[in-house]
Amino acid sequence: MVSPVLLIAVPLGLAFAIPLFGFISKKISKYIPPVAMLFNLILSLMLMPSTLKGPIVVSIGGWNPPFCINLVVDSLSILFSVLIALVGFLVSIYALDYMEKKATEKYHILYLLLLVGATGVVLTGDIFNLFVFFEILCISSYALVAYLGDKAGVESGIKYLIQGSIGSSLILIGIGILYGMFGSLNIADIASNINSIGSTALLIPLALLVTGFGVEGAIFPLNAWLPDAHSSAPSSISAILSGIAIGVGVYALTRVIFTLFGVSSIFPFLAILGVLTLLVGEASAFKQNNLKRMLAYSSTGQIGLIVFGLGIANYHGVAGGLFQVVSHGLGKSLLFMAAGYMIYRTGSMDISALKGIGKKMPLTSIAFTIGAFSLIGLPPFAGFASKFLIIQGALLKQDALFFVLAALVLLATVIEGAYFLKVCQIIHFKEGNNQKKKDAPLVALIPMFILVSLIIIIGIYPNLVSDFLNSAASGLLDKLAYIEGVLG
Amino acid sequence: MIYYIGAFGLVFIGLYIMLTKRNLIKVLIGLNILDTGVNLFLISIGYVGKGTAPIFSRGSEQVLMVDPVPQALVLTAIVIGVAVLALALSLAIMLHKHYGTLNLRKVKEQRW
Repeated sequence: MVSPVLLIAVPLGLAFAIPLFGFISKKISKYIPPVAMLFNLILSLMLMPSTLKGPIVVSIGGWNPPFCINLVVDSLSILFSVLIALVGFLVSIYALDYMEKKATEKYHILYLLLLVGATGVVLTGDIFNLFVFFEILCISSYALVAYLGDKAGVESGIKYLIQGSIGSSLILIGIGILYGMFGSLNIADIASNINSIGSTALLIPLALLVTGFGVEGAIFPLNAWLPDAHSSAPSSISAILSGIAIGVGVYALTRVIFTLFGVSSIFPFLAILGVLTLLVGEASAFKQNNLKRMLAYSSTGQIGLIVFGLGIANYHGVAGGLFQVVSHGLGKSLLFMAAGYMIYRTGSMDISALKGIGKKMPLTSIAFTIGAFSLIGLPPFAGFASKFLIIQGALLKQDALFFVLAALVLLATVIEGAYFLKVCQIIHFKEGNNQKKKDAPLVALIPMFILVSLIIIIGIYPNLVSDFLNSAASGLLDKLAYIEGVLG
Repeated sequence: MIYYIGAFGLVFIGLYIMLTKRNLIKVLIGLNILDTGVNLFLISIGYVGKGTAPIFSRGSEQVLMVDPVPQALVLTAIVIGVAVLALALSLAIMLHKHYGTLNLRKVKEQRW
């Protein structure tokens, strides 16, 4: 069997080999990220069936857990890994044309490092190693947000950097306290001993870790960086940041809350926080005139929905939350990719500038519309199935609090529908002055339409992923299986 | 105990600087103080009173050693801190080129 270590080692090696390839030919460097991500995608898909049986544990350095740094690949990790590789692959193809003039070797190195960091976070079984990969992800995304070096990008980059590094420091303090308590950094080892310490003392590292990962995951009071960073970055990077980076933040949060601490008393808090994030995000998105800013706020809202789903903490809720990660990852990266060319062709980020673009760029507009419909949750797209599962989970909870929260979620969906449909109306039905047809180039349309077809296929036939989501959800809810899988 | 107080003192000083100062360079200095505090905290977790460096050698009688794991962590954390700081300073230079100022109150093109 192939080793999951290659999922990290190959892209990391290729990332640093890019300058060397540059000596052979300057043209090669832009083809390295698609190749690396295609490799990751195939390898993740190959590993997928075996993770259904139980976690694959790889110990590095010849020591047995808990004394080594290990990778723990369970179905949750591989779900994220497939998503990262898929979106990374498609966006890197998209960027072949979109970033053609602006991309240098630095761009490709940083892009690959971002994805390596994300993959590392989801695969690792060691809390400090998780922090290190998390920092790789964060540092490369700070640099990529400011990549174009324009006024808005630099300002957002520095804001993101300051907030992100405070968050990282909090994570590190939390890890330090955990190490002081348990003398171990292995997630499974700490999780198996977690009950030996009183719950009041555990509250401090829990709060530190949740706050720290919450910054990257853009949970409500910590989301101030997100709209700036996501709207000022180049569109290919916005797609990755929105589709993957915040999802990884949520993954880390989930791992910490469900597996590492396994505290059930925090779940209602998490659900309320999720709904707050959802409402704030959607309400702010509603009043935006800037297309990318609207999409960025919508990401905040979607993260809120994911956190709400996880906070329900029953089988349907968690599976729905994870499903939402997938459908948001596919849908939002599609939206940012389409928006990138729309903004490029119209030369303005204003929503009102999109008048008549439906005639000018028909295929891109269709892709945008389908992405928007999926995020709103219209059938037969993927977003419908995931939202349905989350609401079903909330109702199965049979709890007055969750009924109210589910109602608020539906209210937020109405707001979401209002602004997305407004944009779709402007795109398709408002007459513009410039009717000359000029669509996005084929290299950009292919990844967009792969995403479109995935969204429709998953939407019509959710059973395709449901086996896997169920396995991931039960893996999260049953932390004993995880501990036994690692420590034996 | 005194080590923890010192380390967290530095953390809070750093946080205070980051939250109150307007000059970007001062904010970054605050960030660095915060980082240092965190690193010292990690070191003090692994410290054993009167312990020596955790190196096994043939002739040594000393058995009391400090925990090497937090030191390894700090080594990594320092490297990460340097990378973040270098990136932040280069962004600060670019910010100054665009705005002609490092005062963060005047850098507010991006609004809600």
